[in-house]
Amino acid sequence: MNSEEYSDTIFPLSSEESSKPGYWVGGELPENVRIGSNTIITGELAFKRFHSKRKSALNIGTDSTMEGVHFAIGPDGHIEIGNYCYFTNAILLCELEIKIGSYVVIGWNTTIADTDFHPIAPAERIADAIACSPLNKNQPRPEIVRKKVIIEDDVWIGPNATILKGVHIGAGAFIEAGTLVVNDIPPRVRVMGNPAQIIGEV
Amino acid sequence: MVNPGGTLSWDWHPGTIPVNAVIDETAYVETTYSFVLYRSIVPVGVSIGKGTSVYKGTMFDVGNQGQVNLGNYTLLNGTRIVCDAEIKIGDYALISWNVVLMDTYRISFLPAERRQELERVSKRELRRIDANVQARPINIESNVWIGFDACVLPGVTIGEGSIVGARSVVTTDVEPYTIVAGNPARFIRRLDE
Repeated sequence: MNSEEYSDTIFPLSSEESSKPGYWVGGELPENVRIGSNTIITGELAFKRFHSKRKSALNIGTDSTMEGVHFAIGPDGHIEIGNYCYFTNAILLCELEIKIGSYVVIGWNTTIADTDFHPIAPAERIADAIACSPLNKNQPRPEIVRKKVIIEDDVWIGPNATILKGVHIGAGAFIEAGTLVVNDIPPRVRVMGNPAQIIGEV
Repeated sequence: MVNPGGTLSWDWHPGTIPVNAVIDETAYVETTYSFVLYRSIVPVGVSIGKGTSVYKGTMFDVGNQGQVNLGNYTLLNGTRIVCDAEIKIGDYALISWNVVLMDTYRISFLPAERRQELERVSKRELRRIDANVQARPINIESNVWIGFDACVLPGVTIGEGSIVGARSVVTTDVEPYTIVAGNPARFIRRLDE
């Protein structure tokens, strides 16, 4: 896939002269990561599994707090996060694209993945296991399904939740703790369960 | 020995036990890292009873007015405690890894109010959500066993002797001596008393 196939939108950085530049406590950010003013990333392991080769791999807007978040981004992965977001120990597993709006809160130990990482068909899974083994370095892996995850503005996601590939969560939705989301969620509803069920409105 | 205000001789983290902790001399705390999110200022913010052990991965994410009480011979093995009111755990309880016990959502259910709080958070020196929303105490009675990755939501009481299955989400009270499981958790069967 062509890495530049997807538009790499850049969030406008705050125009306020007084606001401090964003930073990662672990040191210098990879050069294809861009974060807005007053955005803080904590956690030494934030980029431990960061392998994106995209020209723009991760864009975070202004005034966001990324506490102990894992940006596990594969070679073609691209993550976009808006302003005033607050994530604690979220694990973002991205091989294609994860788009998160502004004012989104994500609780502790929540996983968001835009792929299943391995093929479904048994024969292809054998080929994948062989390609992944130390005996077959640089062997190409079979095609693996990847589907964009979109989380709109004002979404709240509780701790221990799981958001899987292809999911689109509408603005203002409230995802209870421990919920497993495999289907789209309309705006401003409250969901919980495995699989997620609508239990009310916001 | 685990002394309030003191360090732990076996600790890898350069922290201290909170000064407003009451910890039995026979209790074990693996690391003071468990208290990096602790900011309770009530007279006794956390109490840990006789023979109770708190292993690494356990986090006391306790707000200003939060109070956590752990009984005797209880075991916390990597539990996330989010407490702004009170979380009480009885004796002989077994609480597994990645279990979330939360007595508060910390932030409003209404998107507009969440926006205001998130804007305030971004201006704070310590980036903590502290929106003063209603917290509802959690009471986990004695001899309760909670499996890994489970969540216990605000206001829940789990009765004595009960079992909560792994990955369950407990939204309502659990009667004593029952097994519940599922997301949301539902009654599975009764246990002999």
